[in-house]
Amino acid sequence: MEDNGGEDPVNNNNDTTVSSEGSIIKVTVKTPKDKEEIAISEDASVTQFKEEISRRFKAKQDQLVLIFAGKILKDGDSLNQHGIKDGLTVHLVIKTAHKAGDGASSSTSCTSQVGSSSGSSSGPSSAAHSSTVGSTGGPASAPPQTPNILTGFGDLSSLSSMGMGSANFMELQQQMQSQLMSNPEMLSQIMENPLVQNMMSNPDLMRQMIVANPQMQQLMERNPEISHMLNNPELMRQTMELARNPAMMQEMMRNQDRALSNLESIPGGYNALRRMYTDIQEPMFSAARDQFGNNPFSALGGNSDGGVQPSRTENREPLPNPWGPPSSTNPSEGGGGTGTTGSSTTGSTNPSVSNPLGVNSASLGNGMFSSPGMQSLMQQISENPQLMQNMLSAPYMRSMMQSLAQNPDMASQNPASSPSAGTNPAQQLMMQQMLQMFAGGNASSQTPEVQFQQQLEQLGAMGFINREANLQALIATGGDVNAAIERLLGSQPS
Amino acid sequence: MDQNYTLYPVKLYVYDLSNGMARQLSPLMLGKQLDGIWHTAIVVHGEEFFYGGEGIANCPPGGTSLGEPNSIIDLGITEVTEEIFMEYLSSLGESTYRGNQYHLFEWNCNTFSNEVAQFLTGSKIPAHITDLPAEVLSTPFGQALRPLLDSINIAPQGGNTFNGHYGQR
Repeated sequence: MEDNGGEDPVNNNNDTTVSSEGSIIKVTVKTPKDKEEIAISEDASVTQFKEEISRRFKAKQDQLVLIFAGKILKDGDSLNQHGIKDGLTVHLVIKTAHKAGDGASSSTSCTSQVGSSSGSSSGPSSAAHSSTVGSTGGPASAPPQTPNILTGFGDLSSLSSMGMGSANFMELQQQMQSQLMSNPEMLSQIMENPLVQNMMSNPDLMRQMIVANPQMQQLMERNPEISHMLNNPELMRQTMELARNPAMMQEMMRNQDRALSNLESIPGGYNALRRMYTDIQEPMFSAARDQFGNNPFSALGGNSDGGVQPSRTENREPLPNPWGPPSSTNPSEGGGGTGTTGSSTTGSTNPSVSNPLGVNSASLGNGMFSSPGMQSLMQQISENPQLMQNMLSAPYMRSMMQSLAQNPDMASQNPASSPSAGTNPAQQLMMQQMLQMFAGGNASSQTPEVQFQQQLEQLGAMGFINREANLQALIATGGDVNAAIERLLGSQPS
Repeated sequence: MDQNYTLYPVKLYVYDLSNGMARQLSPLMLGKQLDGIWHTAIVVHGEEFFYGGEGIANCPPGGTSLGEPNSIIDLGITEVTEEIFMEYLSSLGESTYRGNQYHLFEWNCNTFSNEVAQFLTGSKIPAHITDLPAEVLSTPFGQALRPLLDSINIAPQGGNTFNGHYGQR
């Protein structure tokens, strides 16, 4: 282990021909937290290597796990065996004495859901659950429940209080919904959770949740039957039962569908159904679109009022998802001929995919781009880049850009006019900057006179004394002096 | 030597954050062709791991709000067990990959994927992914948008954050 390696050029020591036996190599040992260079004999064993490492890193040898090229280095091996040579990096993990308890368990149990553990139901389900309860923490009756549930889950409470990066419960809900969308079994698992079932069998609580939704309140004002339904505890209980028990729900749905199709065949029945749909269900669905999916509860209860869409065929749609995503596909498909809601679904496309920067586009998207016209424009643009270029270079576009750039207030008014949960200043700024950039790319924000200063001087020096005419010519030719001269000469009788 | 240990496949899930728009608009806006704005995640032991504005997060494969990946690259196999891997990630999450260290260009999901890939298999992720920030910054457009982009955090929804109880934010 003596240093023969003193003369060896350690840089290009990768080929064994240069180094003699027992030479020292320098291996970088990297932990997640830091890294060290360890000098070790080339044909040392892993055990010896670990000895050295344990000294350097002040850890016990049996806590050390060495990884190289995806392989775990076992004590019996030699460094040579694994091809560890000078200058290469070996990864080290120092096992902590206790298992990384909360962090690992809550994270690894992302998929292993409720089924495994009863009380401490893991990750998303309870976070989801607590978020839904938390969202109604506002109305006075719910709060006593909220802290209990949240605090009951140790680190998960901080997870939801951390709010996954935002204290906004809406985001939590969105997150939960996207999780649900991606993992359908989660829903059934959530349902089976005794805690959830408990909550759902409490009609008062459910009613509070539904009533708390402002759009629902509006709906209730317009359609008093809905409030009647909500106030009827028997009906609520039945609805809860339904929601809890998917099999029963399916049965009921089937019955409903059969009844409805019977209704259809009655003369005038179809019209009645259609009326019901447009009056009740459509506003409900659009209300639910922006908010948490309280919708299906109403849909379930509202079924007794006959709010289900009049479909000509058997309803094969997936059942309304009690915790379902707001962007429910039912309105656009189930309506048969009623395509009225088609346009309003454009705003609800999966935000973080259509928005390239992954910013919470719920607010941004509702700014300038939420109108269907704008949406289709964007779509066309993305399909045809040439169109974008044409659009940008159109004269009126330029002036609009210029004025927008000069008047940032106007630009900020556009996004700010969205009623949704505020476009924050960063996003507004982004819009302004983008516009300015576009405008700056096309034309400067100065008046033509200033812009063409140089050219005007040139023209003046050449003898074109009519400054007005010069300016006109320059504007017409976009600053091209030669072309401007042609123009000027062409217009003057000479 | 390998018989004692089980081998686990390691995959790289690649997502295009722009959903195709980059491919079409990049020649126009940047002056060069970029096929996508890549977000990557490592999938191993049946879970997907990625780094975002909230720190290291994990979820079922393909379970973020981005949906299914654009492409899946096979990185090889690893002997590293789940237990060791979790330790490793916990350490990373506490030290060099905390949420507040996220930076869109310099310390992002792809940096993380690269590092984890090397840890697990010894190989890096494809260069066109890690070179993306440099490519963008070398264009005038990229430079112009830089101050704005510096403040953006990308955090695909749908993941559980590691070490949430540290409450780094």
